Amino acid sequence: MKRNLGTPLLIGVAMVLGALALPHAMPAPYYIHLLTLALIWIVLAQGQNLTQGFVGYVSIAQAGFMGIGAYASTLLAVNGGFSVWTTLVLAPLFTGFAALLAGYPSLRVKGHYFSIVTLAYNMVIFIVLMTFSALTGGEAGITDVPRPSELTLFGYVFSFEGRSNLNYYALALFCATVATTVCALVLHSRVGRVMVAIRQNEDLAEAMGVVTSRYKLFAFVLSAMLAGLAGTLYAHYIGFLNPEPFGVDSSLNVILAVILGGSGTLLGPIVGAVSVTFLPEILRFADSYRLITYGLILVVATIFLPKGLVPLVGNLWRRIRPASPSDKT
Amino acid sequence: MIELLQQILNGLAIGSVYTLVALGLTVVFGILGIAHFAHGSLAMFGGYLTFVFSTTMGVPFFAAIAMAMPVGAIMGMLIERFAYRPVRDAPHINAFIIALGLTMMLEGGNLLIFGADQVIIQTPYQKVFEFGGLFVSQLRLVVFFTSVSLVALVTVLLLKTKTGKSVRAVAQNRHAAVLMGVNVNFVSSIVFAISSALGVAAGALIGALLALAPGVGESFAVKGFAVLILGGLGSLPGAIVGGLVLGVSESLAAGFLSSAYKDVISFLVMILVLLVMPQGLMGKK
Repeated sequence: MKRNLGTPLLIGVAMVLGALALPHAMPAPYYIHLLTLALIWIVLAQGQNLTQGFVGYVSIAQAGFMGIGAYASTLLAVNGGFSVWTTLVLAPLFTGFAALLAGYPSLRVKGHYFSIVTLAYNMVIFIVLMTFSALTGGEAGITDVPRPSELTLFGYVFSFEGRSNLNYYALALFCATVATTVCALVLHSRVGRVMVAIRQNEDLAEAMGVVTSRYKLFAFVLSAMLAGLAGTLYAHYIGFLNPEPFGVDSSLNVILAVILGGSGTLLGPIVGAVSVTFLPEILRFADSYRLITYGLILVVATIFLPKGLVPLVGNLWRRIRPASPSDKT
Repeated sequence: MIELLQQILNGLAIGSVYTLVALGLTVVFGILGIAHFAHGSLAMFGGYLTFVFSTTMGVPFFAAIAMAMPVGAIMGMLIERFAYRPVRDAPHINAFIIALGLTMMLEGGNLLIFGADQVIIQTPYQKVFEFGGLFVSQLRLVVFFTSVSLVALVTVLLLKTKTGKSVRAVAQNRHAAVLMGVNVNFVSSIVFAISSALGVAAGALIGALLALAPGVGESFAVKGFAVLILGGLGSLPGAIVGGLVLGVSESLAAGFLSSAYKDVISFLVMILVLLVMPQGLMGKK
């Protein structure tokens, strides 16, 4: 199991360095804004991939949990007087706790029915955010969500104010890296192998003596915590919070991101999150057809490209490259 | 007390529509193992179509439904042929993701064709009857009896005809059915045609009783599945009981607790049933 640990690590470091250099190659504030959003979506999609890709349970509540994180962090910072740095840690924990309560009953049903129950959760979260306006501000939302305060590291002062802020970009990159690393560690641990075993054959895994519900709950809670983190990053970045981005449509978009990139892989959610962030900008000319186009991409991708873009590119690469001895085994 | 009975009575009408939605979902799930989530959006499409026929073209309400149902049936058959059949042998999760994609396409199509405004289908059934302090609107009665007759019709179709027998054979064991000479492709088409026609009727009834608007379809699909979970998967009586229980509990929640949170409460009921009886109210152990 220990073989070839160096290569993924090298790819990871190269990607982080590339991502750090990217804003300097595309210095327009518009691109930096989109890239920051893409990084936040990577956190969200890595979380979704834990349940959808590893365990094979499609949760349709990811955007709802993102909303819980966003509102928890904002309310703690605005009403509770906590520093944003504290809420950045507290809000995902709170989201995880909510997922623990929600996951216990819903993981009693399998397959599609789990998806439907999580969809009901997303609707409940959305309705509560809309209706409980004494706390959430309802549809009008909360304005002036604060950015994190200045941070002093090694004698340098980093400020997070202003639009298209490079330091905020770096913060989002840090979180995306942490999310991906956590998922990589989980995938290559015993827990991760059990999760994949559940995807492949849950009955068999149970027959082998695995208490599958425990692992499913773990994946669900961790996934929601990452969604909460993404929500926190989103709220303090955009500065304005209303329930609209946390509806069922956004949850479907996360599923699209994971499918498009390649579910069950670590690179897939990254590719998918970036595609889903940039796709609406490319499809802007066809605004009223956007939903139809998205749906069509999802259907066509699932029929013809069920493994996503990343394995496809990998296969092409292996075909083009002259066969090396290791491929023949 | 009279207030309680009144709310239960109100809930039965909408509950019968939930049963209709759930019946369409349960036949598709039973035969093909597909959680056909786009069902709700297709139902909304049918509702809009009925609205166009009845309000714009002046066709009587039931004739408009009868005109919209074949259109829905054909759409259902096309969906089965071109979206679900290619992934029939893939993991079930793929079919579900396709269902989500279809939902987005249908919702987008509804938005594009019929606009984002809320639409109510006008019907001539505006009278209100009174029985010893209880008020029953004519519209609710019409909705209830239409749903009941459609459910009865489909039940008879499934239990008494040869086609129904082959449908049930495929549901029990697809491979054995194939060996006995049942044409599975034909059965799949028929099942989607029936299910989608039922969905269209449900959409029209929803449009008359409540309103049609973007997003309503998704929420009805969720409620349809909530009914299946409540009633027990693949159980026909379960779908009927589950639909009525959901409708009544929602109506009671709206009447006595809060109408803004009625959906929240009905989903909580579903989750509570899951906790206490994971196999559903009528499901097998």
